[in-house]
Amino acid sequence: MTQPAQSPIMGHTLRRAAFFLLVLLTTLVAMGLMVSVFQTNGLSLMELILLLLYAILFSWICMSFWTAFMGFFVILTGRDRWAISRQTYPSSAPAASLPRTAILMPIYNEDSERVFAGLRAIHRSLADTGRLSDFDFFVLSDTRDPDVWVEEELRWQDMVRALDGKGRIFYRNRPENISRKSGNLEDFCIRWGGHYRYMIVLDADSIMKGETLVEMVRIMERHPQVALLQTPPVPINRISLFARILQFAGSLYGRMFTAGLNYWQLGESNYWGHNAILRVQPFLDHCGLPKLPGREPFGGDILSHDFVEAALLRRAGWEVWLAYDLEGSYEEIPPTLIDYAKRDRRWCQGNLQHLRLALSQGFNALSRLHFSMGVMSYLASPLWLLFLIATGVEAYFQTQQEPVYFFGQNWIPVWPVSFAVEMTTVLLVTLTMLFLPKILALTLLLKENRLRRAYGGMLNATLSVVLETVFSVLTAPVLMLFQTKFVLAILMRRAVGWPSQQRGDHETGFREAALTHGMQTLIGVVAGALSYQYVPAFFWWFIPVLLGLVLAIPVSMLSSSIALGRMSREWGLFLTPEETDPPAVLRYLEENLEEDEPVLPVLRAAPSSRFVQALTDPYVNALHLSLLPEREPPGKRRRHYLEGLIHQLEEEGPDSLSAAQKRDLIADPETLLRLHALFWSRSPAGVSSG
Amino acid sequence: MDRGKVSVAAPYLPAPVAAPSSELLLDRLGAYWLALGVSDPDQVAALSEQALRRLPDLPETPGIDPVARVIVAAGDLLDDWLARALELPKPSPTLAAARAALLSGAAPDWPAALFAPPGEASILRDALRTAIAEPAPIPSPGAMPAQRIDLFSLLGPLLRLWRPETRA
Repeated sequence: MTQPAQSPIMGHTLRRAAFFLLVLLTTLVAMGLMVSVFQTNGLSLMELILLLLYAILFSWICMSFWTAFMGFFVILTGRDRWAISRQTYPSSAPAASLPRTAILMPIYNEDSERVFAGLRAIHRSLADTGRLSDFDFFVLSDTRDPDVWVEEELRWQDMVRALDGKGRIFYRNRPENISRKSGNLEDFCIRWGGHYRYMIVLDADSIMKGETLVEMVRIMERHPQVALLQTPPVPINRISLFARILQFAGSLYGRMFTAGLNYWQLGESNYWGHNAILRVQPFLDHCGLPKLPGREPFGGDILSHDFVEAALLRRAGWEVWLAYDLEGSYEEIPPTLIDYAKRDRRWCQGNLQHLRLALSQGFNALSRLHFSMGVMSYLASPLWLLFLIATGVEAYFQTQQEPVYFFGQNWIPVWPVSFAVEMTTVLLVTLTMLFLPKILALTLLLKENRLRRAYGGMLNATLSVVLETVFSVLTAPVLMLFQTKFVLAILMRRAVGWPSQQRGDHETGFREAALTHGMQTLIGVVAGALSYQYVPAFFWWFIPVLLGLVLAIPVSMLSSSIALGRMSREWGLFLTPEETDPPAVLRYLEENLEEDEPVLPVLRAAPSSRFVQALTDPYVNALHLSLLPEREPPGKRRRHYLEGLIHQLEEEGPDSLSAAQKRDLIADPETLLRLHALFWSRSPAGVSSG
Repeated sequence: MDRGKVSVAAPYLPAPVAAPSSELLLDRLGAYWLALGVSDPDQVAALSEQALRRLPDLPETPGIDPVARVIVAAGDLLDDWLARALELPKPSPTLAAARAALLSGAAPDWPAALFAPPGEASILRDALRTAIAEPAPIPSPGAMPAQRIDLFSLLGPLLRLWRPETRA
C-alpha cells in the first residue's frame, strides 16, 4: 500500500487542472478547425448554431475521452497514490471487530425469488469471510402488488428459517411509498438508522462479494472524513445477445472509465444509488431531501436522489469517493434494447430535474458538474439530432449556391477553396474521441495475461470489440430518437406510457419491435430518401445513422435473442471474467435459483394467487397479519369502502378487484381476519390449497 | 330495463347460511382444524366443542355470518392457548406472529401439547419463541430534516434587494 499523500490538496488540484485543460484545449482545436471552414464567407446564422451545438457536444465527448485516457494511464502504470482503497493512515491498523453495518435492499414489485436468491448469495459470501455477525440485512419493500407482497413475506421468512437469521434479517413493507426510493431509505434511517454506523445500499438486482462488503467497511473506518464510498457495479448474468454485448462493454471499458473518473474527481465523486456504503449519521444530518417547488417534471419529489445526496454530503464538507479498484460489485442490466430504453425513460426525468439543481446556491463546483453530466446524458441526444438536422439543412443550402469565379473587374478566376482536409480532420478527431477508448481498453489486456484469458484471448476480445462497435453504431441513432422523445415528452409534461421494466431474460417479438421501432424506421427511410434526393453528398455521410434507424426492428429483435447470446458465448465472443470464471457469490446465486428448495412447505407449490392464499391459508394469513404495521382503526368512510370491496370479492371473485383494491383488503388487519373466516365458512373450491 | 340481460352468474363465494345446522358447523370446524394441523379426530372433536362453547361470549361482528363466527371462535381459542403458553397479553401484536410460528411447522406436535398439562408445554414454548418472526429491530428513532436547497432564479437577486429580510 502507498503512504498517505503529503499534500493531497495540491495533487488533487493538479489532476483536475490537467483534466479540464485537456478538455478545453481539445475542444478549442476542434472548434478552430470548424471556424476556419465556416468563416470564409462570414458566419451565417445556421453556421453559428452548428458551431454552438458542436462546441457543446464535442466538449461532452472530450470529457469522456480524457476520463478514459486517464483511466488507461492509471491502469497501465498501476499507480494511483490517492485511490481511496490504497490510502492508509499510521493509526489505522485493521480492527478486530467491525462496527455494525446494515445491508439494505429497497425493492418495488420485483421478482421475489431472484431478490432473495441474491440476498442469500450475499449472505453466504459474507459467511465465508467470517464476518457475517457484523452485518444485518434489511429488505425494504415498497411493493404495491398484493401477490408480490405476500410472496416477499414468505420468501423472507423462508430465508430467516433456512439461515437461522432471526434478529439479523429483517423485512418491512411501507404502507405508503412516499418519495419512492429515497423515502424508503429515509424511513429506514429514521426508524433504525441509530443502530448502525454504516449502511450499504443495494439494488434489487445487486450482488456483492462478502469480502468486498467487509473491505468497504474497513475503508470507511480508515477514513472518518468519508461519508460515501461508491463501488463500480459490473453488469452480469444476462444471456441475451444485447445484454452480453453490454456486459462485455461495461466490463472491458468500464474499469478504465471508473479509474479515470476517480483520477480527477477523487473525494468529490458521485453516488450512483446502489452498491455503495454510506455513513449513517451524516446521511441523517444532511441528506433529508426537500420537495422542489413547482410541478413535475422539474418540481415535486427529487427523483434521481443519489446525485443530490452526494452533493449535499459534499456541501456539508464530507468526502465522497469512488472505489474503482474494489472488485466484487455486480448488477444486472436490461435484457433487450426496448427494456434498456424503458429504464432510460425512468432515469431521464430525474436527470433533467438536475437542470435546476446545477445552478442552485451552495453546491460545490464538481457537484454542479455531476448534475450537468446527468442532464447531458439525456440532453445530448436531442442536441445530436438537432446537429444532424442542421448539418443536413446547411449542406442543402450549400448545394444551392452557384460558385462565383470572377469578382468585380478581376479577369483571373478565383477558384472555390476546398475545406475537405479541415472537415475530414474534424470528423476524424471526433471519431477518434469516440472510438479510441475502446482500443485503449483492448490494449490494457496485453498487460495482464489472466485478464486477457478471462476475455477469451486477444483475438476473441478484439473481434468482440469490433462487433460491439458495429452494434453501438447501429443502436446509437435508435437510442438518440428514444431519448429525444423522452426529453420532449417530459418537457411537454406528457406521459410516454411505458409499462414497468422486465428484468428477467425474454425476447422481443415482431409485434413489440414493430410497435416500438416502427416510427424510427419510418424516420430513417424518409430522412434517407430526402437526403438522397436533395443532398446526395450528405446522404453517404449520413448512412451509419440511417442504417441504424432503418434496421431498428431486426436489430432489436435479433439482439434480444437468447439463442444468439448463447451462440456468441460458445464462439468465445463478448466473454467477461465473470462468465469465464464466475466468483463464488455468482455461483451461489445460480445455485440458489436452480436448486430452490424452500424450508416453508407453502413455497414449494406456486398457487395461482398469493393474495387468495393470504386469505385462505391459516399460516400465510397469520404471517401476513403479524407483519402488518400497527395503525389506527379505519374511519367510517374507509370501513364502508372496505365493506364494498368485501362484497365485490364475495360476489365477483378476486379477479374483479384491482391490485390496489386487493392491497387495501389485506392491509387492514380486521378485514384480513374477517375474510379468512369468511372463506372457511363458505368453503369455496380450492380453499384448502389456497 | 331489460331484465333478460341481467347476469345471473353464480357468486364467487356461496351465500351465507342464515341458520346453520350443528353438523355444518362441525364440518367447517373440522376442516379448519385439519388445515391448522390437527388430524386426530378426538382432538378435532374436543377443540370444536370448545370453540362452539365460546360462541355466546364472542362479540357480535357486523358482516360475520354464524358459520364464520365459529371459525373466528376457533382462532380465538388458539390465541388464548398461545397467550397462556407464551405468557403474552391478549390482545397482543405478537399473537399473530406466534400463530404463524405455530403453523409454520416449528412445533410439529403442538396439538398434543395443547391438551397436555400446563407445565409440560415448556419445550413447545421455547420452540415457538425461537420461531416467532422478528421483522424489524427495536426502533432507534432519528431525525432526518429536509435540507434547504435554494434553486437558481433570475429574479432571486432582485427579490433580495426588494425584500431586505431575505438578504441573510
